[in-house]
Amino acid sequence: MSEAIQYFQFVLAPQMLIGLVLGVAVILVALGLTIIFGLLDVINMSHGEFYALGAFIAFALSSVGLPFWLLLILVPLVMLPVGYLVERGLIQRVFHSGDRHVRTLLLTFGLGLLLEDAFRLVFGPNPHRPETPITGGVEAFGIFVPSYRLFLIVVGAAIIAAVAFVVYRTRLGAMVRAAAFDRDMAASLGVPVQHVYAGAFAFGVALAGLAGVLLAPIYSIFPTMGRDFILMAFTVVIVGGMGSIAGAVVAGLLLTQIQAIVSLYISPVWSDPIVFGIMVVMLMVRPQGLFGRLGHG
Amino acid sequence: MLVIRNLHTHYALSHIIQGIDLTVAAGEVFGIFGRNGVGKTTLLKTIAGWVKPTEGEITLNSERIDGLNPDRIARRGAGFVPEDRRIFPGLSVEENLTLGYLQVPGRDAAGDRAALAKVYVRFPRLAERRQQHGTTLSGGEQQMLAMARVMIGTPKLLLIDEPSEGLAPMIVADLFAIIKEMKQSGCAILLVEQNVHQALTVCDRFAVIERGQIVLSGRADNAAERDKLLTTIAV
Repeated sequence: MSEAIQYFQFVLAPQMLIGLVLGVAVILVALGLTIIFGLLDVINMSHGEFYALGAFIAFALSSVGLPFWLLLILVPLVMLPVGYLVERGLIQRVFHSGDRHVRTLLLTFGLGLLLEDAFRLVFGPNPHRPETPITGGVEAFGIFVPSYRLFLIVVGAAIIAAVAFVVYRTRLGAMVRAAAFDRDMAASLGVPVQHVYAGAFAFGVALAGLAGVLLAPIYSIFPTMGRDFILMAFTVVIVGGMGSIAGAVVAGLLLTQIQAIVSLYISPVWSDPIVFGIMVVMLMVRPQGLFGRLGHG
Repeated sequence: MLVIRNLHTHYALSHIIQGIDLTVAAGEVFGIFGRNGVGKTTLLKTIAGWVKPTEGEITLNSERIDGLNPDRIARRGAGFVPEDRRIFPGLSVEENLTLGYLQVPGRDAAGDRAALAKVYVRFPRLAERRQQHGTTLSGGEQQMLAMARVMIGTPKLLLIDEPSEGLAPMIVADLFAIIKEMKQSGCAILLVEQNVHQALTVCDRFAVIERGQIVLSGRADNAAERDKLLTTIAV
């Protein structure tokens, strides 16, 4: 019995904790991605680079002495107008064209490449590792948890809850869901649909930026960090249901736990192929994902 | 109130509305009749801003609204109840209703609450089902919700497309009672309806559209003009 408890404490629980931290991180990035898709029907291929942009802005500002805690507020605030301008200045230019999906996908893909090269030019190709703002750890039920990872789980859960509250419990959220389902009818009731779109895009980008600030102390900062992370975020969004907030949360937690368990019992090499395999199977048997799309009941 | 001059609307190369002129005064119900596919719904969609006109003018209370986005037209006082009701399935009855507040810029929260309370008194079934999702309601209740959602914004102009379609006679009677109330409150109403006899119980004037043009118009209280209408559309 004690062997089983020890196995749980020292082998399984730490691995599941790693999965949980990654899960919260992926959900933070996937939330913005799924809101943008659910509302605008746009697959934002530059979302990973906005996540990286948040991390690089935080890195640059911290090097001039701004504290991490201030950056948690400042970076999303900086990212909001960036996202708003990208939506109004770029996305809206091709939004009403017949082949909107292809055009917005290529446009955001190009923007992502541009940002990635800009990061390389400005910050160099090598990784930067910001200092961990909270050091040490706590022990609960015999399981050691690094303090910063615990902080990330708590803050991440709070952000996810706040986003869900705004989307499902406020009039602003009702406007977003209405515009996601039927833009013409929502507009005829007075919903300023174009501003809702731009605002939601900006919010998604700000969330990605915030994730960049939060995750940089764990995963480091480098020009292709967005590309690496966005694959998992896309998988979460597809499995959870494109445009579903609940889906992003459930799939984010589920898939990262699967990754963690596979790494432990099979091999870390198999963790990604198995998770991407789940995505492929999901697309074949239930293409709408686990949950319904934003605003679609 | 509503003045339309030489309105033309195209869907790609199809010329749907071909030079329509009409006016609707405050407190007046104007019926639009005609066969399917003649441009009745497109006319309403053009006024509501869902489709941009290619030529002509639409003014609401002396303000040009043609070419504006639908939300700006709604904020100028035009409410639209489309044919298929367009209830938001992911929103509760109350959330569907509260979206109607947005048509009244500047009204405070107390005003919004009072408007909601008034709607619940007029539509007790909606009050009972306020937490249910809109699309779990029956067809008649959904039509009531679509009407109530617009009424909560106290529109100056109401565009209604085929409100009685697929509804039981009792519900239709209730629906037309609401249209009458709206008319008495001073709202200008443009009503597209297949049920001509029912529509004529509330209409002051009417027009018949064929191939995107008005081919007949008249007053509902003029027996000769009514007869001509019924003969023209062979009811």
